[in-house]
Amino acid sequence: MNQIVEKEFFSENVVKLVVEAPLIAKARKPGNFVILRVSENGERIPLTIAAADETKGTITIIAQKVGVSTEKLAQLEVGDALIDLVGPLGKETDIHNVGTVLACGGGVGVAPLLPIVEGFKKAGNRVISVLAARSKDLIILEDEIRKWSDEVIIMTDDGSHGKKGLVTQGAEEVILREKVNECIVIGPAIMMKFTSLLTKKYNIPTQASLNSMMVDGTGMCGACRVTVGGKTKFTCVDGPEFDAHQIDFDEMMMRLGGYKTEEKIDFEQFMNRS
Amino acid sequence: MTIQSEYLKERRDQEWRAELRNKLKGKERTNLPRVHMPEESPEERVKHQNLEVNTGLSKEQALVEASRCMDCANPTCIEGCPVQINIPEFIKNIEREEFALAAKTLKQTNALPAVCGRVCPQEKQCESKCFYLTKLKKEPVAIGYLERFAADWEQNSGIMDIPECAPKNGKKVATVGSGPSSLSFAGDMIKLGYEVTVFEALHEIGGVLKYGIPEFRLPNKKVDIELDVLKKMGVKFETNFIVGRTASFDQLKEEGYEGFFVGSGAGLPRFMNIPGENNNGILSSNEYLTRVNLMGANNDKNDTLVLKGKNVAVIGGGNTAMDSVRTAKRLGAERAIIVYRRSRVEMPARVEEVKHADEEGIEFMNLANPLEYFADEAGRVNKMRVQMMELGEPDSSGRRRPVPIEGSETDIDVDLVIVAVGVSPNPLIPACLPDLTVSRWGTIEVNDNMQSSIPVLFAGGDIVRGGATVILAMGDGRNAAKSMHEYLMTINK
Amino acid sequence: MANLTTHFFGLDLKSPVIIGSAGLSNSVEKIRLLAENGAGAVVLKSVFEEEIYNEYQSEIEKQSVAHHNLEHLDYFDYEIKNDRVKKYLELIQGVKSAGIDIPLVASINCTSGSDWVFFAKKLEEAGADALELNLFVLPSDFDRSADQIHDYYFKTINKVIEASNIPVSIKLSPYFSDLARMIKELSETKLVGITLFNRFYNVDIDIDNKELVPAKILSHPFEYLQSLRWIGIMSGRVKCDLAASTGVHDYETAIKLIMAGASAVQVVSGIYKHGYDFVKELVVGIAKWMDENNIESIPQLIGSANTEGIKNPEMYERVQFMKYFGEFDKAID
Repeated sequence: MNQIVEKEFFSENVVKLVVEAPLIAKARKPGNFVILRVSENGERIPLTIAAADETKGTITIIAQKVGVSTEKLAQLEVGDALIDLVGPLGKETDIHNVGTVLACGGGVGVAPLLPIVEGFKKAGNRVISVLAARSKDLIILEDEIRKWSDEVIIMTDDGSHGKKGLVTQGAEEVILREKVNECIVIGPAIMMKFTSLLTKKYNIPTQASLNSMMVDGTGMCGACRVTVGGKTKFTCVDGPEFDAHQIDFDEMMMRLGGYKTEEKIDFEQFMNRS
Repeated sequence: MTIQSEYLKERRDQEWRAELRNKLKGKERTNLPRVHMPEESPEERVKHQNLEVNTGLSKEQALVEASRCMDCANPTCIEGCPVQINIPEFIKNIEREEFALAAKTLKQTNALPAVCGRVCPQEKQCESKCFYLTKLKKEPVAIGYLERFAADWEQNSGIMDIPECAPKNGKKVATVGSGPSSLSFAGDMIKLGYEVTVFEALHEIGGVLKYGIPEFRLPNKKVDIELDVLKKMGVKFETNFIVGRTASFDQLKEEGYEGFFVGSGAGLPRFMNIPGENNNGILSSNEYLTRVNLMGANNDKNDTLVLKGKNVAVIGGGNTAMDSVRTAKRLGAERAIIVYRRSRVEMPARVEEVKHADEEGIEFMNLANPLEYFADEAGRVNKMRVQMMELGEPDSSGRRRPVPIEGSETDIDVDLVIVAVGVSPNPLIPACLPDLTVSRWGTIEVNDNMQSSIPVLFAGGDIVRGGATVILAMGDGRNAAKSMHEYLMTINK
Repeated sequence: MANLTTHFFGLDLKSPVIIGSAGLSNSVEKIRLLAENGAGAVVLKSVFEEEIYNEYQSEIEKQSVAHHNLEHLDYFDYEIKNDRVKKYLELIQGVKSAGIDIPLVASINCTSGSDWVFFAKKLEEAGADALELNLFVLPSDFDRSADQIHDYYFKTINKVIEASNIPVSIKLSPYFSDLARMIKELSETKLVGITLFNRFYNVDIDIDNKELVPAKILSHPFEYLQSLRWIGIMSGRVKCDLAASTGVHDYETAIKLIMAGASAVQVVSGIYKHGYDFVKELVVGIAKWMDENNIESIPQLIGSANTEGIKNPEMYERVQFMKYFGEFDKAID
């Protein structure tokens, strides 16, 4: 159960794992996520599903090392198994034919973006993807995204790949050039905030997929609460995607930092031990 | 005479019980004082999250307490028990030192006696109907303590009796969730000869017994032993499985499941929706207790973290609030404060829990209600504004209504706030079954037989009641099992 | 055609016909209909704190039998409260996202100070364009002096205003011994508008069954006279806009009230009696009459019955206005 059948490091801190999970592979839809535990003492980690192979019964997850749990996850090898894996969780992306879709992905946010891009393309949309990261080696899944996009724009902070600049610059270029009917943005909170401000300016309906903190992922704990349109929502059961123009990103960023101090101490202890 | 009362009479007429009744005179029994539950000292117990507060009756204490029971011809106590334990029979077995038989009697109708002996509000259930209380105006027989004694004795003996099951009838049923109602349902259905699978979304079986109730009140080990009995009876447990998501109801039907019991619980924590409530350091009691109880965040060897506070306020006056505030104290809070808008007598928590909290140095800020939270630059809560209340006219619960005192707002320093004002039903199941009738509040509507608008789907516990005690949920599970059995037998004729 | 725009609730309104707080406007479709018929603003149904409490009570009664568990119900009033706010929010957001261009005014009625602020904040967050305080204390409490009641009004109003970023107005009851002074002083707070008057549910007696019953709810056409008189008296002497409410059953009445000094009129009963088209009837009727009388805009009409042809309106006209009624009373005696 939940055996790792493939592992690949995209960069020093970003790892791709293909895991056996036949039921999830069959049931998952774009936008869904899973929760997993690496070991008996492990945390429950929410991760989005980047891809699934129904015939092989596997799902692909991509994780960035940000703390003890993701560090442990990255240390697993092919043949190891996850002790727990549950899903698919969260609402699926509302995919339909709208015309032209602008898909913006930042960093590991490109992983959950991939099935959504695929979905929109298959639904008959013109899909333009803008992928952004600090530098070339942090751009992930470029070929896979290309497969389902009419056009891909790469933006890097240092100009080491594609154009030099932020995701918003790439996105604005497209918006000024042609009619965009819908935008989807996934990535770091700050990147989603500014992309959302941009599309709001141009009145383009925008969905953002949030990576809030979670414990159970089934609505039970409320750690993932976020304010959307003046209402408190739970990312795990009401999301993870919401109308980006309604999201209180500042509150969300503040909440993502809720365990910063504790996590830092924990991580240092872990690194000292290992 | 009903079948139940005929059966009880037959059991009461057994020779050994008649003999035992004659062993002591009525007066000799009624003159005995009610036993006190031995406890760890408050000083010691606040140092350990995992040290059980109530330590259980000694054999001697149990024998004396058991002899208080009059073995009434009309045992009204049973009426007060949602799972209808044959109370006099198990108590009389204790009196004659047949502890294994006492445990066996409990398990005839109760899949989780060690749990119920600890967390049931017996004072509102069986003990409230005890002859001592209703007729003699004396303290009732300590049925709960004795239940715990018998269950613990069996667990400690190392030899667990496995209840007998009817031959397999070839039918498969499933439960959604593995909390008290599902386990109770599973226990009854497996005895009736069904193949039973318990599906649980989390990585642990037990639902609220595991993630909600702290170790100092209910050790997980105790739950695990009772789960093991169910396993030995043949119940299958599937963790990490969300019915409706991991596989749909239709997929499960194709796999041969003919009946479903939904005991998915009240998953969603409620908040008050007041300003500043989304600040860091303000969490639901569900989150707080899950991190500690299920994920073991109090122990460094586990990766899950939990925020700790010096000044911890817990909003609410129920058992969950008491569990949270006492946990906070154990995790090192200097001040652990209950903030509750009514006075102490109106608190819904069990008297015992309030007493324990009090002994442990929990502060009670009664007649106070939060209005707003304030945070430091990092967004961490540092202050809460509370409004003082006074009591007005009694409301329909018979308790006096809290009325705000104008101009009485005060600010208190806090760095952790736990909101324990109740939970709402989990929306996952209704969301994937459009034909299921739910109430305005999201609870599943069922008839008297616990049957929902989808005939093969029965439900019980918090998902039906909104909020129930462990034992009421278990009663629902038993009723649902009985009804589903009748239903499946009828449609398969 | 005459320009019907006016100003009330601190907002520019397309017409002086405001839909008063009632169930008339409890869906996006109904509000669309009201807007299409030319309403200037819609006051949404009041959130009544007392109603929430009563619902809480009935939930306790309904649920506690099955529970023996007060823990679940202990804070259920918040659940009801938040459910109400959620519905309000969905309605307001529904109207806005449907592109219906009409100001939405949220109305609240509470008994405790903290709840006034709670709801004011929540409804503002929900997207309401303005707030109407449905604030009244029935002077039937033997323990409350006039001063205490006054004090309560001003404290509550100031609290809400302080907490709100949207304009706040009040719908007032006539039960004050110093009504003129009260209105004047209220207008000197940061309130942007005062609507005269609030209409109460009355009680009646069923003599066959010998029991108290609710009196007929809808207003009668003659009931506008009280509002007319007081708007006439107060117009020009207050520091905020006035609006009239109660008894507007035809466009002529609306014109009279505006002439007396109202910037707008609130209607409810007329719509219940004649349907949603009634709004159009009023709007068209007012415009037609204005055209016929060569009045180009509503501001021109507001208070015209008090000032026209009179040189020193500050003192004189008010007395005359009252005297007019005095003489009229005599005339029918």
